Amino acid sequence: MGKRIVLGAVAILLVIAAAYASLYIAPEERTMGVVQRIFYFHVGSAWAGLLAFFVCFIGNLMYVWKREPKYDWLGVAGAEVGLVFTTVVLITGPIWAHPVWGIWWTWDARLTSTFVLWLLYVSYLLLRTLVEEPGRRALLSALFGIFAFIDVPLVFGAIRWWRTQHPSPVIMGGPGSGLDPTMRKVLFFSGLAMCVLMAFLMVERYVLEKMRSEVDILKREAEAQ
Amino acid sequence: MSLLSNTAILLGKELRTEFRSRELLATTAVFILIVLVLFSFAINPGTEEARQFAPGLLWLAILFASSLMFQSCFLREQSNDTLSSLRLAVSDPFAIFLAKLIANTLFLLLTELLMLPFFAIFYNIPLWSKLPVLILVLFVGSLGISIAGTAISAISAQARMRELLLPLLLLPLLTPVLVVSSLVTASLLDREPIVQWKGIGFLAVFDLIFLTALWLFGEYLLEE
Amino acid sequence: MKNLDSVFAAYLIGWGVFFLFYVSIAKRTSDLRAEVERLKNALPRGK
Repeated sequence: MGKRIVLGAVAILLVIAAAYASLYIAPEERTMGVVQRIFYFHVGSAWAGLLAFFVCFIGNLMYVWKREPKYDWLGVAGAEVGLVFTTVVLITGPIWAHPVWGIWWTWDARLTSTFVLWLLYVSYLLLRTLVEEPGRRALLSALFGIFAFIDVPLVFGAIRWWRTQHPSPVIMGGPGSGLDPTMRKVLFFSGLAMCVLMAFLMVERYVLEKMRSEVDILKREAEAQ
Repeated sequence: MSLLSNTAILLGKELRTEFRSRELLATTAVFILIVLVLFSFAINPGTEEARQFAPGLLWLAILFASSLMFQSCFLREQSNDTLSSLRLAVSDPFAIFLAKLIANTLFLLLTELLMLPFFAIFYNIPLWSKLPVLILVLFVGSLGISIAGTAISAISAQARMRELLLPLLLLPLLTPVLVVSSLVTASLLDREPIVQWKGIGFLAVFDLIFLTALWLFGEYLLEE
Repeated sequence: MKNLDSVFAAYLIGWGVFFLFYVSIAKRTSDLRAEVERLKNALPRGK
């Protein structure tokens, strides 16, 4: 319990520090001005979200292999937390795009792929609500989770190719464009802060799921009597 | 018995079952036709722009039709619990999947070929000269749809609200297929046709990846 | 500096989402704890 509180405190401190760095330490970008500072928050959240989904994927694989409930708890924690971070990416993207291009949605390759990613994991969670028995629910969602995660690079690849055929505003320069060294440091720091926040939220969600599983067992015992 | 012979026998069963009644083929074909017609009401069908949208609309129609077509794939095994007998009959459960996905690909391809003349007429697109490559694209795309569809069908059959769940799970997964197939078909049917081999290669990679995943994890989909 | 509003909006909304998520977990956790108490009281009586 103490460790969790420390993790939470560290996460909050890092997030505040990263925000400060993004707003005051990072140099101003030439073409877009101050709006571009959203980039550190936006990209940091994207990395944390993907990492959360990766943890979900590992949990899914481990569950199919070992069938221990704790891997199912890890899976659902990873999926929900990943979805939260992905939601933030999808919200900050348009907030960034609107002042710069005058439109809310630019069909930028990465943002569009992130939207599909969001849909995939919403489906994962919906599947879970539609299977009653815990063991079956864990197995089916683990298997779908595996298919969903291996689809992710294919989604990003396909949409990137699509966007080269039908170009549209790109929210941030492509991977080729160089980044000022200070910007790069602020970006990595922001990413780190987001990942620590992600870890904290995942631990909390995992503990909740563990508790819920125990309550289910208690309920069944109570009903049996 | 080997995987191939098991698959061949099961494939024969799948094909015989369908060709006895042909209900799946008929309903899927008519559904694609209905969707194509409805799309025409949603857009202005005679224009040059409609001609550019048409390949995307075709693949969208195929995707929607497939999410209906795959409903029965594993549901029909539930009524008399034929799935247990199937699993006992074969040594490798992958044979069951392989047979179903080959059958599903064939059914999809057949309905698509049946629909092509209507598509060409409605949207005023000459197909004949590009037919071989078009069939290749339809094949690689439909194979991907079938592999994912067969796997998802096994999952949704074990859950509630399966009629709605199957498209919900399947369609986001098939985004890459829709995107790339539409693009490749569009540039193939353009006034100056280009064959996008990169796209066809991508679809083949998609098929391979999902087939491998199904091979690795299929048996767990069939667990009791 | 109209665009500065966008930057602050993005950060505030983002943090808001994380905060709401945390609050929802905390609420579900305390609800569960209440239920555990209820069940633990119900069990010995049954025995």
